Amino acid sequence: MAMKKFINDPDHLVNELLAGFVLANANKVALTGNNLVVRAQPKPANKVAVVTLGGSGHEPALSGFVGEGMLDISVPGEIFAAPGPPRVFEALKLANRDAGALLVVLNHEGDVMTAGIAMEMAEKEGLNVKQVLTHEDISAPSRQDPRDRRGLVGCFPVIKVAGAAAEQGRPLDECLAIAERMERNMATLAVAVTGATHPSTGSVIAEVPEADMIVGMGQHGEAGGGQQPLKSADETAAIMIDALCEDLGAKAGDRLLVMINGVGSTTLMEQYLVLNGVKKALDAKGIGLARAIAGEFLTVQEMGGFQMFAAKMDDELLALWDAPCNTPALVVK
Amino acid sequence: MVTCERWVAMVRAAAGQVRASQELLSNLDSHGGDGDHGTTMVRAMNCIEQAVAQDRSSSMPDLLRAIGWAVMGVDGGATGPLFGTFFMSMSDAASGDAALDARGLAAAFAAGLAGVQKRTRARVGDKTMLDALVPAVEAAQAAADCGGSVEDVLRSAFEAARAGAEGTSALQARFGRAKNIGEKSIGQPDAGATSVSLLFKGFLEGVTSHA
Repeated sequence: MAMKKFINDPDHLVNELLAGFVLANANKVALTGNNLVVRAQPKPANKVAVVTLGGSGHEPALSGFVGEGMLDISVPGEIFAAPGPPRVFEALKLANRDAGALLVVLNHEGDVMTAGIAMEMAEKEGLNVKQVLTHEDISAPSRQDPRDRRGLVGCFPVIKVAGAAAEQGRPLDECLAIAERMERNMATLAVAVTGATHPSTGSVIAEVPEADMIVGMGQHGEAGGGQQPLKSADETAAIMIDALCEDLGAKAGDRLLVMINGVGSTTLMEQYLVLNGVKKALDAKGIGLARAIAGEFLTVQEMGGFQMFAAKMDDELLALWDAPCNTPALVVK
Repeated sequence: MVTCERWVAMVRAAAGQVRASQELLSNLDSHGGDGDHGTTMVRAMNCIEQAVAQDRSSSMPDLLRAIGWAVMGVDGGATGPLFGTFFMSMSDAASGDAALDARGLAAAFAAGLAGVQKRTRARVGDKTMLDALVPAVEAAQAAADCGGSVEDVLRSAFEAARAGAEGTSALQARFGRAKNIGEKSIGQPDAGATSVSLLFKGFLEGVTSHA
């Protein structure tokens, strides 16, 4: 095992990381029930609740999005593995209110299955819950079938705009429509330069040859094709933003939100270089960079690389993106 | 006849089989997956054993539901929902039965499989648990249709599951995370299919030791 990590008993890894996460963000989040991450100060019950689920090991995602202006509850699973339906159902019951709840689900096999079963149970119980599925990874081999597109860091902006709408007191149908509009207009492409290990099994979850980069690698080390010699920040930025713009059908005059999401060991310095490269490439096309953000939001342990996210924004989505929030992963005043 | 007591013996034996193969399952899964399948399956089996130890009902649907729910509670990606659904769907089919004969058992397995197939787009040949589960259920039904005993049904199911799981070695994964390693997935059996084979091995062992 070549793993070099500060861990204790792998069986207690998730419990221990959640305990530390709450200690570090005590004024924002708390744990309740069976390891559900909730806001330290609950949102008034007359507003729509926003809930999500997903594997651990991607910190600060997804529990780092819990807080004012974003999520009400996150259901963290095991390392890289979705939680089971009982805990998601527990979260939906906890979120239950007349205003209803929105469940944000990333398109991965386990997450989708767990959410489906929890939604069936919620329906039987008469809970008012709607679901939005994020599947914006454009590297899927068969682009015809959207079900093959994985949910990457795009869950974050979806949660941001839906959470802002919920905070404004918008009804569930509108929150859902906003989440779906964001989802339809966004795309993500990942690139990896070094691999990572699974922190509890020590399994190598991605391998990248020394001098190469792999464009299209997902957040569990899934190769999406596109292995090529490592290129400069500007060249890589251009390759990736071109692919994203093509997928989005972005044209001159459009306004984009672009995010560079470092996945582990790629430095913030490199992320800024890439973002600068994106700006140059967009300028050449006459496409506007309306908002930009760089940082670590959804990571893959010590993997090197980043996910580049782009979305076509309208006035309302921009206003919701700019709305205040106070979460461990993002603060907007 | 398969009574609640026999089901308990069957799942306990299945838990023993999975536990004895934990390392094998994780090794198989590290090839294209996260390497956590063995750990996840053992956690699922621990939950089953807890559930059957706590279950005081003598109703078979309740027992199977308790087992299914326990498996669902394992935070292990698709493993909990899929194996949990297998037991939950058997519970729906076993409604009202105090004990299952050979045909009833085969029908319950078929209902369990139908439930699983509703949850996943994976099909036979995709190198998943279905490559063991589908032939196992078909073999169980064939044995029951020929007038076989409960033990015959379980033996046929196990042998078909084992052959199905071994056959996945030659397949390229077309589903799940292992799909992403393409041709490199050929050469080793699928971890999920191997787990199905171990479950049926345990079921058979549980029934024969608890005749």
